Amino acid sequence: MNAVVFDVALTAYIVAAAAALGSLFGRRDDLARFARLLTAAGWACHTAAIVLRGVELGRAPVLTLAEGVSVVIWVAVLFGLWIEYRYGITTFGAFFLPVILALGLGLPTGLRDLALEPQSQSGWTLVHVALVLVGLAALVLNFGSALMYVLQERQIKAKRPGAFYYGLPALETLDHLTLVTLTVGFPFLTVGLLLGVLQAGRSWASLLAGDPLALFSLLMWLVYAATLSGRAVGRWRGRRAAYFAIAGFCVLLATLGAGAFFHGRHGS
Amino acid sequence: MIHTVFVAGLSHRTAPIDLREQLALEEDKLREVLSDVAERGVCSELMILSTCNRVEVYGVAEVPGEARGAAFRRMSAQRGMDFQALEPLLYTKTGAEAVLHAFRVAASLDSMVLGEPQILGQVKDAFALAQSCRVVGPTLHALMSQAFAVAKRVRTDTEIGRFAVSVSFAAVELARKIFGTLDGKAVLLIGAGEMGELAARHLQDQGTLPVYVANRTWSRAQDLARDLAGTAVRYEDFPSVMAEVDIVITSTAAPEPIISVADVEAVLRARHERPLFFIDIAVPRNVEPAVNDLDNAFCYDVDDLRSVVESNLRERQREAQRGEVLVEREVAKFVDRLKDLEVVPTIVSLREKLEEIRRGEVARALGRLPGADEATKQALEALSQAIVNKVLHAPTVKLRDSSRAGHGRRWVEVISEVFGLGTKGRIGPPS
Repeated sequence: MNAVVFDVALTAYIVAAAAALGSLFGRRDDLARFARLLTAAGWACHTAAIVLRGVELGRAPVLTLAEGVSVVIWVAVLFGLWIEYRYGITTFGAFFLPVILALGLGLPTGLRDLALEPQSQSGWTLVHVALVLVGLAALVLNFGSALMYVLQERQIKAKRPGAFYYGLPALETLDHLTLVTLTVGFPFLTVGLLLGVLQAGRSWASLLAGDPLALFSLLMWLVYAATLSGRAVGRWRGRRAAYFAIAGFCVLLATLGAGAFFHGRHGS
Repeated sequence: MIHTVFVAGLSHRTAPIDLREQLALEEDKLREVLSDVAERGVCSELMILSTCNRVEVYGVAEVPGEARGAAFRRMSAQRGMDFQALEPLLYTKTGAEAVLHAFRVAASLDSMVLGEPQILGQVKDAFALAQSCRVVGPTLHALMSQAFAVAKRVRTDTEIGRFAVSVSFAAVELARKIFGTLDGKAVLLIGAGEMGELAARHLQDQGTLPVYVANRTWSRAQDLARDLAGTAVRYEDFPSVMAEVDIVITSTAAPEPIISVADVEAVLRARHERPLFFIDIAVPRNVEPAVNDLDNAFCYDVDDLRSVVESNLRERQREAQRGEVLVEREVAKFVDRLKDLEVVPTIVSLREKLEEIRRGEVARALGRLPGADEATKQALEALSQAIVNKVLHAPTVKLRDSSRAGHGRRWVEVISEVFGLGTKGRIGPPS
């Protein structure tokens, strides 16, 4: 049952993403409104799917990698809708929905059966997983806003208003958005990862050697930590910060890939 | 008897600017012209649109050429101009073409600068003036109400008026694309060029922006600062002020760049890489072009701004195409309505005439029947009403059908002639 509802939500996201892209390229406000409405509807279905899955399996629905990705999407969509509303950016959907879909469409394939070892399903594990997932969701949006920044900055520097120039928001708004998403996401990620390390109860070296997911997570954390401290020192703004956000997201994808394809302590 | 809606006049497309300027009239003069022309009886409805880009007479007349002649003869006399010289420049459009023209003008599709917003207000003013002179009838009223509605739709459904078409506004728009809100951003104006001052003023219109003015001549800086409600700074100090502001407008007559890449690099470091936007209006340029290659620095010179304006104009033209399609659809709809409007007065007066006859005859008949009871009276009413309705049916249907088929006027004439209908009450506000 939960799989059916999830598919409905995913379908809504797919159509919404298409509409959002259409509104970006065709500069049509009506399509953007439609996309927003559909995203909200999809999110409601998605909520139902997650709850149903928890009830049907009789456990927290965040233990397999597929479930994790699903929660990342769920949080990211909610956060994304809030950003669209808060900053009045009608074209945001065109940037974060496709990213989310790329993650979501991975679900029916290889990711679905990965599960945590049964003995590690303690309360703390759940907190560790949940925190990391919320952090990842914010970083998905971080990537979306960085992408918008890079596009808009190129158009302004080139001095030729391109196709997206009129539809994309101001550079300062986008820069602020990459900062907000990073400052929200990073603490979640940090605390979440730290909890994971503490629970593993092993030395750093053996932890990293035995687990590609942990290794990539650390790498990802380092990239984001560097971006944030660069900003804090006041050197990295605008384009440089956006490039780092994009790099960070590439490592994030690699991390998910590591979780899916290498079997370490996280996998079974 | 046959009244046609028409528009006649001249515009930036047909007449040179000096002539247009000369002919444009102020409100009180227009008032006189409107009443004079209406009194001559050459048209049943009238309105005059007089702006610096067009002088046009909108009206309803039996012979549009006559009305046009009367109006423009009167206007040129007012200005001491020779009507004979004016006449070859005048265009006249009637019927559907006149409707199309009115809609296009109101929607700013016929403007010199496509999509400029002033024209709609000017048309509205012209209409209000004609109304106050009591020379507007149902046809012009319907035409103009629809023209306003169409203009509004073109403005909201297309993006014809969205993008800046002047260099200084283009600069403001770019600043908004970089900073979002301009509230609280500070501006440094170096040099005293007129265009620089204009750009600074446009920026100030966007919010509360502190303005600093630097000039080689200290007194000039002080004067300009007073004009802009800003602060004058010493010319030598401008590099340090750059660290505090967000937008720098340069328009000095310096033969070589006064701001180098190295300067800007240092400033950006000092301001923690907060973005800095240079609007270089000077020719030759005041800011080294390579400044634009630095992260978080944006530099537009006059040519760059012009190319943005050109791209915006192309954007407006593209949007105008969509506007034209919309207008054409509306014209078709309105012409149908106009045709109905053409026959409706005849239908109404025909009905009134027969009703008058009916009531008179019923009264006479009842006079001859002093003992008639209520039932008889009612039967008499019903009988006479039924006869009138049956008689009215065929001509009414014929009028409506023929108007839709495009030859309503002929039947208006025939039926008015046959039934002896007058033409009273054509001017005046619609019911």
